[in-house]
Amino acid sequence: MTALTVEGLAKRFVTKHKQEGLAGSMRALLRPQTKEKIAVHPIAFTVQEGESVAFLGPNGAGKSTTIKMLTGILHPSEGYAEVLGLCPWKERQRLAYGIGSVFGQKSQLWYHLPASDSFELMSRIYEMGREDYRRRRSELVERFGIGPYLHMPVRRLSLGERMRCEIAAALLHRPRVVFLDEPTIGLDVIAKQTIREAILEMNREEGTTLFITSHDSGDVEQLCDRAIVINYGRIILDDPVPEMKRKYLTYKRIRLELEEPAEEIELPGVEVLRAGGTALELGVRTEEVRIEEVLGAIVGRFRVKDVTIEDPPMEEVISFIYGKLGKEGG
Amino acid sequence: MLTEANQSRLLPPAERPVLARATALARFVWTCWKLNLAGAMEFRMSFLLTAGMMMVNNTVWMFFWAVYFHRFPIVNGWGLEDVMMMWAVSTTGFGLSATLFGNCYRIAGLVASGQLDVYAAQPKPVLLHVLITRMSVSAIGDVLYGLLLYAIFGEHTLLGACKFIAALLLATAIFVFYNTLVQSLAFYIGNAEGLGLQMFNIVLTFSTYPTDIFRGFSKLLLFTVVPAAFISYLPIGLLRETNGLFLAGALLMALALAAGGTLLFYRGLARYTSGNQIGLRM
Amino acid sequence: MRADTFGESLLSRKWHKYAAVGRITVSSQLAYLADFFIRTLFLVVIIYIFMQLWKVTYEGVGETTIAGYAYRDLIWYLIFAEAIILASPRVNLTVEEEVKSGAVAYRLTRPLSYIGYHYVAYLGEAALRLAVNLIVGGLLGVLAFGVPSFGWGWGAFAAMLLGALTVNFLLRMALSLCAFWVEETQGLVFVYDKLLFTIGGMMLPLELFPDLLRRVCAWLPFQTVVYFPSKTIVAFDAAQFPQMLLLQWVWVIPLAALVGWIYAKGVKKLNVNGG
Repeated sequence: MTALTVEGLAKRFVTKHKQEGLAGSMRALLRPQTKEKIAVHPIAFTVQEGESVAFLGPNGAGKSTTIKMLTGILHPSEGYAEVLGLCPWKERQRLAYGIGSVFGQKSQLWYHLPASDSFELMSRIYEMGREDYRRRRSELVERFGIGPYLHMPVRRLSLGERMRCEIAAALLHRPRVVFLDEPTIGLDVIAKQTIREAILEMNREEGTTLFITSHDSGDVEQLCDRAIVINYGRIILDDPVPEMKRKYLTYKRIRLELEEPAEEIELPGVEVLRAGGTALELGVRTEEVRIEEVLGAIVGRFRVKDVTIEDPPMEEVISFIYGKLGKEGG
Repeated sequence: MLTEANQSRLLPPAERPVLARATALARFVWTCWKLNLAGAMEFRMSFLLTAGMMMVNNTVWMFFWAVYFHRFPIVNGWGLEDVMMMWAVSTTGFGLSATLFGNCYRIAGLVASGQLDVYAAQPKPVLLHVLITRMSVSAIGDVLYGLLLYAIFGEHTLLGACKFIAALLLATAIFVFYNTLVQSLAFYIGNAEGLGLQMFNIVLTFSTYPTDIFRGFSKLLLFTVVPAAFISYLPIGLLRETNGLFLAGALLMALALAAGGTLLFYRGLARYTSGNQIGLRM
Repeated sequence: MRADTFGESLLSRKWHKYAAVGRITVSSQLAYLADFFIRTLFLVVIIYIFMQLWKVTYEGVGETTIAGYAYRDLIWYLIFAEAIILASPRVNLTVEEEVKSGAVAYRLTRPLSYIGYHYVAYLGEAALRLAVNLIVGGLLGVLAFGVPSFGWGWGAFAAMLLGALTVNFLLRMALSLCAFWVEETQGLVFVYDKLLFTIGGMMLPLELFPDLLRRVCAWLPFQTVVYFPSKTIVAFDAAQFPQMLLLQWVWVIPLAALVGWIYAKGVKKLNVNGG
């Protein structure tokens, strides 16, 4: 079943335009000049239920605007979208029962009260039965490990603790589609890991569809099986994550542990990143030379104790895509 | 993948019986108010202090009227009791609007800073949800003060109490929806925060002076654009004499403001630009 | 130190120093001038309401004067009283902030009295706000009653203002400095403001009070802030004027001593506890 259908969805903002200085302000007051700014060009994609999709792009690319249109917060300037078979801005209330959203920068929790109070309110907002609510809450408390601070005022929680409560609150009503806007922003490694594991578990066990924006390549690699990249309001890439890595990973890293200290090595398309004693690290541009050739040459020359081949971190892939495709598309 | 609980929950609320929907909504509103109060109690000391300060503030005006009526027994047909009941109605009305629907004073700010997202993403009427999410702590002092005035100067019969409650409902509704109306201008014009606050302050100020000291054009204004007279005249037009024409007018004004405010808010919501702050800083 | 500056008296140099503080306050506050004018909207509304209320009252009583005030005098009184009250800078916010953040300690290192600095800054800002309020309030009065002829009242008002602002400043400062000991002074200053509104004579001239209350007020400093200057200008009385002026400055002395004493205690506490 299709969870999301987006067709020609676009958003333009009208902004006031003002000349410099006081005189400009006065003129703007009398005859305001407006200027249209295109936040999202017409875009189209579909997401199947149970998929987990990373929605990527640099700041100001239109990610949040798209999510806000899909959750019914913003009305689009043109185009059509369907979430769980409902049009978000026309059937906002009905849809809201089926979706959950976490905006990393905007809290749903009541700042001065314990998270348990906010959970109580959420259960009322989503009209959950008491028994169902209690069962679901203890399930999430366990999954996100938030038991110890469920009854502490939210303002006293660390960012990581708060974020875990935030996400648990958004999942309370068992949404079928969850929109996560920067869910791990500003968190430390351990907190990120806890959150990712809990989200992933839910995706696997409940078949929840995930739609995630993030600047964190870890989120993409660990949570998502598909990536849509948007830049300047246009979709510039829509691929499964492994394929994206294959297509744009034209660079690999070979780490070698040798029996004896290495001597000079020179191959086309290969650069020495680090050489010291028996350790050797090479960078390989796979467009110029096949990885097998490089390995063959090495095995022919040295006695190899251990070898690992690594992809560069996702971050490099994404920034590469922004750079390359952004220019072509924009 | 859908569990049984899932199935029943996904029944769209529109298809549930009306009574069940109303109960669910009432439970939600009640929970929100409970949380607001719990939040206020988190800071008990400052709660008492601010509520106390409001009571001191109101005492200033009681002082004024006490001295005034000490010297002049009546002002255009209004006695001390009428003026006190006017204060009881307008402070309690204001207090209820700011405690139960506290965000009606902050809509413009919420719109400008893009803080409506959370409400818009949840399955409850956005305006109602926004309004009840904040409680002004100091206004609790106003409610208590107004009730105290009723206890001293009001009519303590069943009819008197009912009339007083009716007056409060009208006053609260007028305050809430007048604010909703002026604050919702933020969807359409930049910087409506200052304007909204000034407009409200004018209404509030006028609603605490006897309607009958104003004449001609200014009286006309008070029954139209600055609808303060529908509040300030309640002690005469409802509590003392029960004037049908005035009551109909007040009811009509409350309904018109409710309709207008709600319409302006939801129309605006469709143009809402949220918080990316794209080019919003001017 | 250069020898030729020696001729300039110490007093005059001090005077120049504080005058500079006042000047800089005024010019920095000029940036908010438009804001001050917008805030006078409340002044206009409240004066308008009082005009209606008192008009009805005078008609009801059927006499031309009440407690010695003609209708127009009473309204002018209220205009001046409101203008003075609404002109007061919120010195308590600054002082409380400086005490809590410890900035008061840095101020101590400068060759400038902490109280003196705030006093001059207070006068500068108050003068500016008062001017704005008087322009707007005056315009309203002129529109209603034509140009008033207060004669000597103007000069007496000006002379009385300094004392009024000084007493107001000292009382506010005494309360603000309590920030050395208590969490927040906002509540104290709030109550003080309300005392000015009522028994200070902002809403009603003291002549309208019941006798007993009036006699109590005569022993309190609040009347010197609002009632004295407003009364002086609308009903100048050559015999009363020197008495009022004297009384103002009689209040200044113990209040100044009180502020100095609180401040010294506060600083000592700061030194002991290391701020």
